[in-house]
Amino acid sequence: MELRPDPALEAFRQEIRAFIRQVLPADMAERQRRKVANNAAVPDLLEWMRILHSHGRSVPHWPVEFGGCGWSPMQLFLFNEELYAADAPEFDWGGTHMLGPVLYTYGSPYLRERFLPMIREGATMWAQGFSEPGSGSDLASLRTSAELVGDTYVVNGQKIWTSGAAHADWGFFLVRTDRSAKPQRGISFLIIRMDTPGITVRQIPQINGEAHLCEVFLDNVQVPADQLIGEPGMGWTYAKFLLEHERTTSSFIYWSKRELARARQIARTEQAGGRRLADDPAIRARFARLEADLIALEWSVLRVLAHEPLAVPEAAAASVLKIRGSALQQEVTMLQADLLGTRALRFFDPAPAPPPAPTPDWPDYVPGRTTVALITRASTIYGGSMQVQKNILAKLAFGL
Amino acid sequence: MDFAQSDIQTMLLDSAQRLLAATAGVEYWRAQRHQPLGFDEARWAQFAELGWLALPVPEAAGGLGGSLEDVALLNVALGEALATEPYVSTAVLADHLLKQAADRAQGRYLLGEIATGALRVALAHQEVAHQEADGGTLARRDGTGFVLQGAKLLALDAPAAGLLIVSAPIAGEAGLALFLVPADAVGLALEAYPLIDGTRAADLRLEGVALPASALLVGPEHGEAVLAEAIDRASVALMAQAVGAMEAAVQICGRYATERRQFGVAIGSFQAIQHMLADMFVAAHQARSMLYHALAHAEDEAGARGAAIAAARIVVGEAGQLVSRQGIQLHGGYGLTDEYAISHYFRRLMCLEKLYGDLACHVERFGAAVLG
Repeated sequence: MELRPDPALEAFRQEIRAFIRQVLPADMAERQRRKVANNAAVPDLLEWMRILHSHGRSVPHWPVEFGGCGWSPMQLFLFNEELYAADAPEFDWGGTHMLGPVLYTYGSPYLRERFLPMIREGATMWAQGFSEPGSGSDLASLRTSAELVGDTYVVNGQKIWTSGAAHADWGFFLVRTDRSAKPQRGISFLIIRMDTPGITVRQIPQINGEAHLCEVFLDNVQVPADQLIGEPGMGWTYAKFLLEHERTTSSFIYWSKRELARARQIARTEQAGGRRLADDPAIRARFARLEADLIALEWSVLRVLAHEPLAVPEAAAASVLKIRGSALQQEVTMLQADLLGTRALRFFDPAPAPPPAPTPDWPDYVPGRTTVALITRASTIYGGSMQVQKNILAKLAFGL
Repeated sequence: MDFAQSDIQTMLLDSAQRLLAATAGVEYWRAQRHQPLGFDEARWAQFAELGWLALPVPEAAGGLGGSLEDVALLNVALGEALATEPYVSTAVLADHLLKQAADRAQGRYLLGEIATGALRVALAHQEVAHQEADGGTLARRDGTGFVLQGAKLLALDAPAAGLLIVSAPIAGEAGLALFLVPADAVGLALEAYPLIDGTRAADLRLEGVALPASALLVGPEHGEAVLAEAIDRASVALMAQAVGAMEAAVQICGRYATERRQFGVAIGSFQAIQHMLADMFVAAHQARSMLYHALAHAEDEAGARGAAIAAARIVVGEAGQLVSRQGIQLHGGYGLTDEYAISHYFRRLMCLEKLYGDLACHVERFGAAVLG
């Protein structure tokens, strides 16, 4: 058992920090730091991918032969942590962390050669077409169908909660190719161009004033059969692989750490009753608990990364990350909003970018806090709701 | 970062498994309560034979020179088995204080006595009042020696100790000194009592207890810092016991949910019960993560060490509450009986949460570390 950090990793961290400082444009970091909305952030996201790609670091977690850096899980952890701490734009997670691994693991050489470079180089935005109006937590009941006619799949159905579909060039979809098989067996994994005739995207107005989530309607959409990944009927297996592949991503640990640091800054700056909020015992107690919970989450992530030997299936430990990580995202963002008092109530329209120029009464950390806190109510719903996660954990850890 | 056990740690845990599994259980715990000291002295002798008491003792003093990680893993096993032996008081807390002894030779001798199982040592630090007039403990220099006067509250494991380490300021001097006081010292009176988990503590009266110069273990200039460090290390060991106790309680509840039937089915088939168990599993898992965090920082400078341990005690303390409280709820009425293990785990976890600083204390301590 060795719990102290490896000194070699500290050198790596310093190298990464210097690298980011060198290649991340200051105005891009500033826009990311003050980001209120996701749609407006798309151009920066792609540009940042192109910058990282020019240094061979856009998909460090992929196998080296596909453009990865060959880093250890701990090195990847530090890389991500430094990216977030420096206010770098997000990854296009759908492409880099979901579709990419499925493609290089199960895709044909043709699909790999066609799509992996597009993801790696930041040439495309990707949409994930999994959920349907009638298939949320019960994803395996999905009904969008793909019928093979010659060498073309004809797709009909409807997807929902597809993040960024209005800005996506391509999408990866779960579709039912066999209605006679058991629900999980009849599902396939299909890549579809978002401008294919028959696709209609409707942006869904959200609780925070943005419309990033979409409905995608597919009406006799014709898709070349060679855009089906792997084997027909194996889509469920690939989707499960995709969700389990990134076992620690669902913790959102880097994101929550950065947002907690922001909350700390607000508490140290804001005054009430002649003292800093940071000196209010009730606020201090809330920070103490939240900071401690986040440290625990970080160690739980490290345990998964290091494959700690456990008495329960490893997936149980990964499921803890999702359960705690999603709850802590909400606690951190609501703490930020609470620290702003009634100023948290002002609506900042996410549509125009950038947010309004700061004034002494409305410092630059105000816009965005509530917007993010509102949409973060989603963290315990997407990717398997909190309740489904607990069902899964009860099964994994207790056989119930 | 490596979470796998070393060969030595595996051997240690195998020996713990053999000894503790053979003796742990509701019948054993209920029997120990009637022992004069709350534990079986024969099993304490086995602790010594297995090298557990020598584990943290330096090799130069006849010990094994084990790491705090080794000690913590052993304490996870002790926690699982709800061992009531004064292991942490003697082998962690006193062990660390004796390593700091101003008189090195005396310290080494006493550590050697601990390693063989011949000596048990307890700390008497806590007081209700801090003014001498209210019974606060004070030392006065008397020739080359000292005279102690005052009272101590809830000195954990003191009834079983041959030697006490008593904290007291020296009249007219700044700081806090630590004194070695034999349990049979003239003028020392102990009022012993059990805690809710079957362990023992005592209140102390010190009426003109005369001590030789050699009784000064750590002088007033270092006493506070040395004591803080020793208590932090004891905290780590107690958290390890809490993690062990929680993990065992979670398992017990998981089994109970498959055995207990209501409405014609196992209660574990109800989603409400499944979600309680999932929450308990998450809490215990996070508690172990925090034990690792505390261990990773246990040798840091005082500020960073204290912050890490306070943070860990928040998460472990609250996890212990959740696991033990849900544990009783899940057992229904049986959870409140002395005949079901879960009530024993509840009582132990409540003690572990409050000893050496309760949640409020650690929340305040860590809040100060975070926000300055």
